[in-house]
Amino acid sequence: MITVQNLSKSYGSFRAVDDVSFTCRPGAVTGFLGPNGAGKSTTMRIIAGLTPQDSGQALVSGVPYREVPNPGTQVGVLLDASAQHAGRTGREILTIGARTMGLPLTRVDEMLELVSLTDSESKRRVRNYSLGMRQRLGIAHALLGDPKILMLDEPANGLDPAGIHWMRSLLREYANRGGTVLLSSHLLHEIQIIADEIIVIGNGKIVRQGSKDELLDAAGTYVQAEDPSALARALTAAGLTASPQGQGLATEATPLEVGRAAAAAGVVLVELRKADGEGLEEMFLQLTAPNQRDQFTNGVPA
Amino acid sequence: MSTTTAPATVDTSAPGVPLSRLVRVEVRKAFDTRAGFWFSTSILILCALALTFFVSFVPIDTLTFTNSTGVAGGVLGYFLPIIPILLVTSEWGQRTGLVTFTLEPRRSRVVLAKFAAGVIISLAVIVVAFALAAGILGIGSVFRDGSVDWSISGHLIFNFVLSNVIGVFLGFAIAMLLMNSPAAIVGYFVYSLVLPIVVGIVSGLVEWFRDLAPWIEFNTAQNPLFTGDMSPTGEEWAQLATSGLIWLVLPLTFGVLRLLKSEVK
Ligand SMILES: Nc1ncnc2c1ncn2[C@@H]1O[C@H](COP(=O)(O)OP(=O)(O)OP(=O)(O)O)[C@@H](O)[C@H]1O
Ligand SMILES: [Mg+2]
Repeated sequence: MITVQNLSKSYGSFRAVDDVSFTCRPGAVTGFLGPNGAGKSTTMRIIAGLTPQDSGQALVSGVPYREVPNPGTQVGVLLDASAQHAGRTGREILTIGARTMGLPLTRVDEMLELVSLTDSESKRRVRNYSLGMRQRLGIAHALLGDPKILMLDEPANGLDPAGIHWMRSLLREYANRGGTVLLSSHLLHEIQIIADEIIVIGNGKIVRQGSKDELLDAAGTYVQAEDPSALARALTAAGLTASPQGQGLATEATPLEVGRAAAAAGVVLVELRKADGEGLEEMFLQLTAPNQRDQFTNGVPA
Repeated sequence: MSTTTAPATVDTSAPGVPLSRLVRVEVRKAFDTRAGFWFSTSILILCALALTFFVSFVPIDTLTFTNSTGVAGGVLGYFLPIIPILLVTSEWGQRTGLVTFTLEPRRSRVVLAKFAAGVIISLAVIVVAFALAAGILGIGSVFRDGSVDWSISGHLIFNFVLSNVIGVFLGFAIAMLLMNSPAAIVGYFVYSLVLPIVVGIVSGLVEWFRDLAPWIEFNTAQNPLFTGDMSPTGEEWAQLATSGLIWLVLPLTFGVLRLLKSEVK
């Protein structure tokens, strides 16, 4: 369990993290989604006790991270896969971790195998690692002490599609065993693949949070008809608001409501489906555009 | 997805990371990169070269074990403090601090472990340098006619070790203050090479400064450890204390306090 309450952090007059609150529950993978510079890494560094917050608190199972004894064995953290001494081999980096945590060195081999780094790769210096190999090493490092809580900053960054699916099953299994996972990404589709719960952050503020299904359901409906203007009239008549999108219309109403309205007016539909994250995607794109915060927080479609 | 096991909680009564383990890890980190390994090794190679040169060319009747260790000590004096510097600054230059302080959030213990590791490695290097001095002098005395004075005073050994430990302490303090490898190394050489010259010149010109210098300048204050009868007077110990406060304790205190509060990224 990770609990963040009213967390704020400013750099000078710039508020990098602004009154952020959320909870990551055990048994679920929580995705922390936000565009570049949204404050994801800063929040995670505060949770790990590396950055002091200005106000609010961040707790792991009710305890500040700094008070967790031998934290590597209880909370697995990957903050930046490239923050390693370039001159050390991957195996040596895991060995240092294992020695610090007081683990048997067999753990090193187990973890290397888990993340599919071969023996010869593990003896290469990290300087010569590809981005994906570094990520795998970082994940191995986070899992080294067999922690019950995991916090990974952009772990899928640099992984190939197969790697992302591998990570999904790894984290899925981990959560199913009762583990708590918080992972960040700036890519919606990555989070969609891996997470159960989604927290969206933009400009330091939490703008959305909920289960993936909730957020995707809330994204509305996409509908396309043989006669677009007849469809528009039908929806208006049924009291549904819609806006043009591509060849059809997007609306916040459910597919059922839209289908009924169309049937009542005898409009022939060509396509009718859940918007499936398109609403989320659009919200996310708005977040990414600069200076959109006010417009965004005041008037985003639900 | 539903959970099948009880929610995981953090065990706050679990044992923390013992200091001894942190120290061992820090010693390991000083040697597990090519740069780290070769730095310590190069110091010893340099020692061996200087000793070979010294033993080969110095008039045999002036060749003693005491001045041979002095040669080794000269080399160590310049380079040994760089070991603790790299131990500290690499955490920032290579950003490994992110992992180090995640695995041990009690930062002051990491600092303590690094200091202990610096002292342990330095003592080991000193022992090897002593052995090199004895070995090379021994070999030299076989090839050269005449006998060598093998006597050495406990005093000298003590001061030799003391000055090198002070050097290690100093390197550590400068590194904690500057947190950057090149800056700390330059800072150390400015302190050990440039500063004494400047202080010497100013002391020659300004009389009141000459009296003040040993109280505030650590190099000057250390002179009584190595000159004359090598046993400082009470006043000289007091000067070591005040200048040591300025050059060791203040930067170290400032560096540690800053580290405890700062953000690691
Ligand atoms: N030490 C600092 N001084 C000034 N600004 C900072 C500092 N650290 C972070 N910031 C700013 O805080 C904001 C949040 O940064 P953060 O690294 O948390 O973003 P992020 O969500 O992790 O982004 P990304 O997806 O690019 O990793 C950024 O605008 C960043 O420039
Ligand atoms: Mg980031």
